[in-house]
Amino acid sequence: MSVDAPTSQTADMGPRLEAARPQDNRGLSIPLVGMLLFIASEMMFFGGLFAAYFNARASTPGEWGPPPGAEELSPVPLAAILTVILIASSFTMQFGVWAIRRGDQGKLRMWVGVTLLLGILFLSGQLYDYSQLGFGIGDGIFGTTFYTLTGFHGAHVFGGAVGMTILFARASSGQFSARNHVAVEAISMYWHFVDVVWVALFSIIYFLK
Amino acid sequence: MATTNLNPRAESYRRSWVIEWLTTVDHKKIGIMYIVNSFLFFFAAGILALVIRSELAIPGLQFLDESTYNQAFTMHGTIMIFLFVVPVLAGFANYIVPLMLGAPDMAFPRINALSFWMLPLGGLLIFSGYLFGGAAAEGWTGYAPLSSNADKFSAGVGTDLWIMGLVFVGTSSILGSVNFITTIFKMRAPGMTIFRMPIFVWTVLVTAILILLATPVLTAGLIALFIDRNYGGSFFDPAAGGNPILWQHLFWFFGHPEVYIVILPAMGVVSEILPVFSRKPLFGYRAFVYATIGIGLLSWSVWAHHMFTTGRVFLPFFAFMTALIAVPTGVKMFNWMATMWRGSITFATPMLFAIGFITMFLIGGISGVILSSPPIDFHLQDTYFVVAHLHYVFFGGSVFGVFAATYFWFPKMFGRRLNEKLGKTHFWIHFIGFNLTFFPMHSLGILGMPRRIADYSPDAGWTIYNLMSTAGAFMIAVSIVPFLINVVATLINGERVGDDPWEANTLEWATTSPPPPYNFDTLPPIRSERPVFDLRHKHDAEQLAIEGTPIGTGERP
Amino acid sequence: MRRTVAANRWRMALRAGLLFAVAMLLGGCLVPREPATTQAETTFSLYILILVMAGIVFVGVEGFIVFSVFRYRRRDDRLPEQIHGNNRIEVIWTIIPTVIVLIIFVFSMGALGTVQAKSPNPAVTVEVDAFQWQWTFRYRDDDNDPNNDYSVTGSAQQPPVMTLPVGQPIRLVLHSLDVIHSFYVPQFLIKEDVVPVPEGTADNELEFTIERAGTYSGQCAEFCGTGHANMAFSIQAMEQADYDAWIAAARAGESPPPAPPPADATVIELNAKNIAFDTDRIEVPAGKPFIIRFTNQEAVPHNVGIYSGGTELFQGENITGPDTTVDYQVPALEVGEYDFLCTIHPTMNGTLVAQ
Repeated sequence: MSVDAPTSQTADMGPRLEAARPQDNRGLSIPLVGMLLFIASEMMFFGGLFAAYFNARASTPGEWGPPPGAEELSPVPLAAILTVILIASSFTMQFGVWAIRRGDQGKLRMWVGVTLLLGILFLSGQLYDYSQLGFGIGDGIFGTTFYTLTGFHGAHVFGGAVGMTILFARASSGQFSARNHVAVEAISMYWHFVDVVWVALFSIIYFLK
Repeated sequence: MATTNLNPRAESYRRSWVIEWLTTVDHKKIGIMYIVNSFLFFFAAGILALVIRSELAIPGLQFLDESTYNQAFTMHGTIMIFLFVVPVLAGFANYIVPLMLGAPDMAFPRINALSFWMLPLGGLLIFSGYLFGGAAAEGWTGYAPLSSNADKFSAGVGTDLWIMGLVFVGTSSILGSVNFITTIFKMRAPGMTIFRMPIFVWTVLVTAILILLATPVLTAGLIALFIDRNYGGSFFDPAAGGNPILWQHLFWFFGHPEVYIVILPAMGVVSEILPVFSRKPLFGYRAFVYATIGIGLLSWSVWAHHMFTTGRVFLPFFAFMTALIAVPTGVKMFNWMATMWRGSITFATPMLFAIGFITMFLIGGISGVILSSPPIDFHLQDTYFVVAHLHYVFFGGSVFGVFAATYFWFPKMFGRRLNEKLGKTHFWIHFIGFNLTFFPMHSLGILGMPRRIADYSPDAGWTIYNLMSTAGAFMIAVSIVPFLINVVATLINGERVGDDPWEANTLEWATTSPPPPYNFDTLPPIRSERPVFDLRHKHDAEQLAIEGTPIGTGERP
Repeated sequence: MRRTVAANRWRMALRAGLLFAVAMLLGGCLVPREPATTQAETTFSLYILILVMAGIVFVGVEGFIVFSVFRYRRRDDRLPEQIHGNNRIEVIWTIIPTVIVLIIFVFSMGALGTVQAKSPNPAVTVEVDAFQWQWTFRYRDDDNDPNNDYSVTGSAQQPPVMTLPVGQPIRLVLHSLDVIHSFYVPQFLIKEDVVPVPEGTADNELEFTIERAGTYSGQCAEFCGTGHANMAFSIQAMEQADYDAWIAAARAGESPPPAPPPADATVIELNAKNIAFDTDRIEVPAGKPFIIRFTNQEAVPHNVGIYSGGTELFQGENITGPDTTVDYQVPALEVGEYDFLCTIHPTMNGTLVAQ
């Protein structure tokens, strides 16, 4: 860890580099650029999984769906409720971002807490859903793709929830301010991205026939 | 994060050098660790190559059984590509890019350290298969269903460890590329506009974008493979409705950009070295940048040329795109030639390796165009012709680039220049050994010798070429000896050559060699893509400025 | 001064000539063996065309580099003219490679049409089953019952032989029973992957017309596991009449009549009389198939088998005399000593030396 105190939290830049201060302070801050790039790579990761899904659908002769003996997948009620929960959590997250942009630390803490709870609710709901489905990951190509896609999405929600917990702790100890809250912005971007992936997953798995 | 403002020159707080290196977040130290780590893996994979070549020297199985042989070529390919060529170039980029941009460090120094430490971890995971009943043995391409069905075709944890190791290595490069892109976009010194960036930085930028978008697709494929092997998944199992060709699509969607990931930074290195030793600017800077971007874009649309013989891809499209990618590559070749044309060329070791790069990469490029023709590919695919082609690109291209970079930037890193006599000895043995090893492989492929076979018939007429190739492989191994002696001797007692021994052009030579922490005390004005050249020829430039265009900022296409 | 310029020019010419000679020599090692099918001839011509173009580019570019390296080496401290580029030249040398690759692409597509053309009614259709690590060739007949088709399966000692007529379109249906394999015959200049597909999906097919009778070796070209290197086979192409006789006999369940052996195969004479062979030592060349011309001179059945340790390498059919002769075709043996014996009368034995 550097002992050369950074004046911004963007990077470990020592005072020596007054001469070499980066010119480009316009636009997005360094951590947000990093987060956007990371999200781009995550999109390609899910792109790969979606490609596998569509490839499997295209090369499967006959009906596409759960293996014989298992019930048809239904978007209502559980999946739809989970979708509503996750979309709502995106809004609560954004309220938190707006709050801290105004400098309102209390509201930030509240909204991050709500978002975290919604995330946990979503994960529990998904686990419950898994326990109710009559097929597993090893039951044919449908099961494999279903669990891989939703499972890796769930893992990303979990990652987001961990980030949210850290945000909550930091917000509680008053580490953010109107000028200094880049972590909040970054994690909210990630959270919105995970949300968008779910909407795509939900529409493709449950509605695309 | 500390909030007190300490004077960085204060020596109040010293750590042992071991702790210092293990915990460093300095891009220069991390860069050197990348390079050293990569060379260690290079030697390991090189020994495997010698084992493979020894077995193939004459017909019959002399040293290995088939399963050991299959493990050897799988590990050789995997380690060379994922743990040598990609990371060693990333190491040079790590060291040099912030310096070239006039930046104090990478954008995310701690993530930079994390990316590095994932590499040895991933590499050791991949190798550790040897301790648990045998390493992965499905080739570096790991085609399903051979690799995906652990019950029937590839039992043993070697393949699982291979998958896990590759996921680590892949994550390392994704984080690394986030770091490079952010650094290049956000950390440039005042005056360093995007079209004044050295070509090496441009190639690293395009490479990083390719890594960022291609590697996650491989990760997705590897995870699917792991699920198939361990959790009863059926992505690649035709009996359960899966599709083995899907693996090839996922792998090569990553794998072809990967080829450019490996070659672009080496092209960047050569584009830095040729102008310095020709004492001329790079011919057609902008054309070169556009060619680099063009290669980056086209590389997304050519992956299926690895799959012509599967009978399951649309040949005309992929053949056309593949042929087309030769155009920007050709433009680069012509620009390099024009850079040397009417120059004032000296033959220091970095220049020899750079010239070696363009002469050898040309052969790899030509054989690539030959392979882009589907009917010819039907004959040559999966034969030694492809092995020859890929080694002319990866070895004749990238590895020559790596050695050029090593000789060129060694004085930057350590303030001492590698011995020229030993360097030239290294080059000539290396160059001849390389051609002796890989040129005969073209003939082998044309005569129909498939790759990845442990043994062949004495009647096939392949023996003579195989013997030549094996002799060449040992010659390459011998050439590494003067290189190693050179590095050790120079570090102990090498010639101290000052800050700018080559009379170079770019910003990394404007600071001391080796540079201080955070790189620059002062920066020269940056008014062209050759700030250090401008500085050196300040007076000429001022003189010329009276008449018109100053040197280095003249007509640029 | 003038003399050195002239000398330089000579040296340059010499170097260029040397480079050209080396290029021609290398080019010689880059030509495939004589193509054996109609399709392969198309590929061959295309390949030669591209090889010549490649050779011109190679000599041109490398020549230019070598020339520059010698001509423009540093002689003094003067800074050469700082040329940054030239747009017109950039355009020109973007167009040149574009034209070259377009020419290659157009010719390739033309050839591809020929190579991939499917005839409506191939003369022979063979189902090729690839599995770890052997091949089965099944000759499709007219009754739509795959179970009674005549088939050949290879073994470790004896790679399978696919017997085919010349001058007729042949279709192979490539079916994998496990992993991905690839059917590759170098002299046909073609390979096609044998991909395991889900039920109901079409297998890959490969079509060719062989032009000359002969034996063409082939092997699996897609890495398929431990025994990949051993998945060899060969194609025995013969005149239509010979083929007709062969397939008729094969289908009738008779032993397949000998595919004509390679013309230069060694023929070993061996006679049996009075429950004994007339020699106890046979010498054959190693690494080549050979023929044992076995004559049974008595009315007791005899045969010849070849063993290495306890392992059977070859087993000839029984024949009964007097004076019946059979040509046993024995696959290539590695250097070493083997036992040969009559399995009916194991006391009839001797040593076979392959060298």
